[in-house]
Amino acid sequence: MLDVINRANNFGIETRMDTPRTNEIDTHKRTQHYEVLRELGDCYTSVGNYGQAQRCYEKAASLGPDEPGPYVGLGVTALQTDKLDDAEIAFRVACRLDPQCAKAYAGLAMVAQQRRDFPQALDLYLKSLELDTDSITALLGLFQVSCEMGSFAKVIYYLEVYLQMHPGDTAVMFALAALYRKDGRLETSKTMLLSLLALDPANRDAANLLEEVEHAMVEARQAR
Amino acid sequence: MPRPPASGGNGKKGPLVSVLLPTFNRRRHLPEALASAVHQTYEHLEIFVIRDGGEEVDDIVQSFHDPRVVFINRKDNRGKPFSLNEALRRAQGKYVAYLDDDDIYYPHHAETLVGALETGTDCPVAYSDLYKVWCDVSPDGGRQVLSKHVEISRDFDRFLMLYFNHVLHVSLMHRRDLLDKTGPYNEQLNILIDWDITRRLAFFCDFQHVPAVTGEFYSPVGESDRISFQRRKDPQEYLRNILAIRTTLPPKPWPKIDDLSIILVADRLSEQLADTLLHIWRHTFYPYKVYIPLPPGDLTRLNVQMPSVELVPVNPSSTAAERIDAAMRSAEGQYVAIVPADLRIEEMWVENALYALIHDTAREGFLLEGGSPFSPAAVLRRADLEQARRAHPQMSFEASLAASGISLREPKEEELPFQFDELLRQAKLAEAEGNWRMAARLYQHMGERFGNGVWMKSMAARACFEAGDHAGADRLSREVNGERPTVDTLLLEAKVCREGQDFAAAIRLLTQAEQWLGPQAGAAAYGKRNLCST
Repeated sequence: MLDVINRANNFGIETRMDTPRTNEIDTHKRTQHYEVLRELGDCYTSVGNYGQAQRCYEKAASLGPDEPGPYVGLGVTALQTDKLDDAEIAFRVACRLDPQCAKAYAGLAMVAQQRRDFPQALDLYLKSLELDTDSITALLGLFQVSCEMGSFAKVIYYLEVYLQMHPGDTAVMFALAALYRKDGRLETSKTMLLSLLALDPANRDAANLLEEVEHAMVEARQAR
Repeated sequence: MPRPPASGGNGKKGPLVSVLLPTFNRRRHLPEALASAVHQTYEHLEIFVIRDGGEEVDDIVQSFHDPRVVFINRKDNRGKPFSLNEALRRAQGKYVAYLDDDDIYYPHHAETLVGALETGTDCPVAYSDLYKVWCDVSPDGGRQVLSKHVEISRDFDRFLMLYFNHVLHVSLMHRRDLLDKTGPYNEQLNILIDWDITRRLAFFCDFQHVPAVTGEFYSPVGESDRISFQRRKDPQEYLRNILAIRTTLPPKPWPKIDDLSIILVADRLSEQLADTLLHIWRHTFYPYKVYIPLPPGDLTRLNVQMPSVELVPVNPSSTAAERIDAAMRSAEGQYVAIVPADLRIEEMWVENALYALIHDTAREGFLLEGGSPFSPAAVLRRADLEQARRAHPQMSFEASLAASGISLREPKEEELPFQFDELLRQAKLAEAEGNWRMAARLYQHMGERFGNGVWMKSMAARACFEAGDHAGADRLSREVNGERPTVDTLLLEAKVCREGQDFAAAIRLLTQAEQWLGPQAGAAAYGKRNLCST
């Protein structure tokens, strides 16, 4: 007797049908609500509505407790409202959650800068730039702190690196030209300003600085 | 988008809708589910709450003080199909809708579907889209929403429905009298209950897809507490249910499906024949009946308790062609597959050729993969085969076809079924490999070629964004948001707005998305105003 039904037990297991696998959801699905709140916080920050931004970042932080982003946002809103202690705490949490978070270090640097602790701010900006040489916030902060401290070597290096990656950034070109001028590198400063003016002939600040640099070069020659 | 019906509110002039809500041990979520049914904008409802044993819920039901709620309070647990049938025996509605005890309708759910059924096409079945809500569940059972996605927004595809379900049961509404044709819910099943009924409905009518989000179902991150999910983990049980569903055929006539007769041709009873029969049972999803023409002595030794098998006694000295002729006299199918007993039966073994045949207008048949020149395997229209056999009864099967001018050929690539699904698979693969540009192109092509327009546009918008084509993402997400916005597409459009420094627009879009992600707030935000604006 050929028993067809009993033979069915010897069959392999049917697995091709798509069964739900709840453990395999992608990151996008896990983080949608978090993402909406963080984006909203960033938008409110951009328009200066720090109260709403703080509300969004706090909710985002509860949904993504391992994410540094909302804490960076909370730090920024606190900084903007002059709550330096709150800002420092938020940035430190972000650093703890992600020791590679360049924005958190830049935030801590800004706190230190506001407290006029320029050496500390300089170290933190440099740390931030080590992690992200592309950070314009850290670069400008470093520039400001360098001006306060009268020490330009490090900021020149980072601005040069930045400019290699963004060769047409006239704001950074101008800052570098000014730093070269202060550092006594008049020829380099002039070259940079000429390049800048080729890109932006109407830039009056650059034209004025170029005039100043050329005047200084004449004076230097006469002094020799 | 269908217009809402003119009535159904306080006037109760629209057709009555019976909402079936079985519940078992989900006191925590039942109030929310029931509230979502009670607070529909379309009010002409009777809402059956069927306690399928488990925890008592009469206090919850009574707290609604709504005369439209009918409570069936049963202490013993008999399963979901039993509960649905129990309520259906008492239901009076022209239409039936379904709700699970941990899911919710949005307020316009019934209004949307009644509108589609009453004023749309003549389809007696309609379905909408639902959010799948990923959530964390706290120890007290509370749900923290992580995301809401429309994972599937698929237009009705009968061939696919025969293969597997693409209609979420909570999104379904159909005429109650259709169940007279399909038969009741199968109480022997314990998973895929919804597919069983939608599959049987597909024998009788088309379904109308309304691409509006009208509710949500919950999927906790980690281990699902869904009973169906737990049961799916038992593969033997899963297979048993699938085979039961595939082989349970509703009574004829079937206005929308032409069935298939499979004639299994063999010289004698053999182990190989029995194995082939089992493989047919396991791998065939298109409705079929197998005919086995064998000498009576062989048939008595064959113990076949499988459904959809008919034994055809033939003369032991009969030729293969004569055996086919004998089976043809019993066969009912409009399509006939001639299958040698040694044919290798695998996934899609007959459906590829059958699909080509169904969509082919020429007078020809299609070869099944694995046949040989000495024992050809093919699927044909019954009428063509009958004509060939009548005209040339002394010839072999293949010679009679040739003499009648009926050619056999293999189906071309573009004639095969599930091309949309194959492209979808490729697009997902491209996504996984980070090739977002390719994924975007595929999604856009699929939308143009195969329909499912809103769904494909949403997928393409995301792929464009990830590929860095933010202009494309902007255009597509705006188009979707103008038609059927979702949290995903609002978020996408907001990101593009933010990049363009349009913070006011980004805040407006994100605020809307945040409302929809909130508990209950999503339902309110996604209410009537939004529906009408589309």
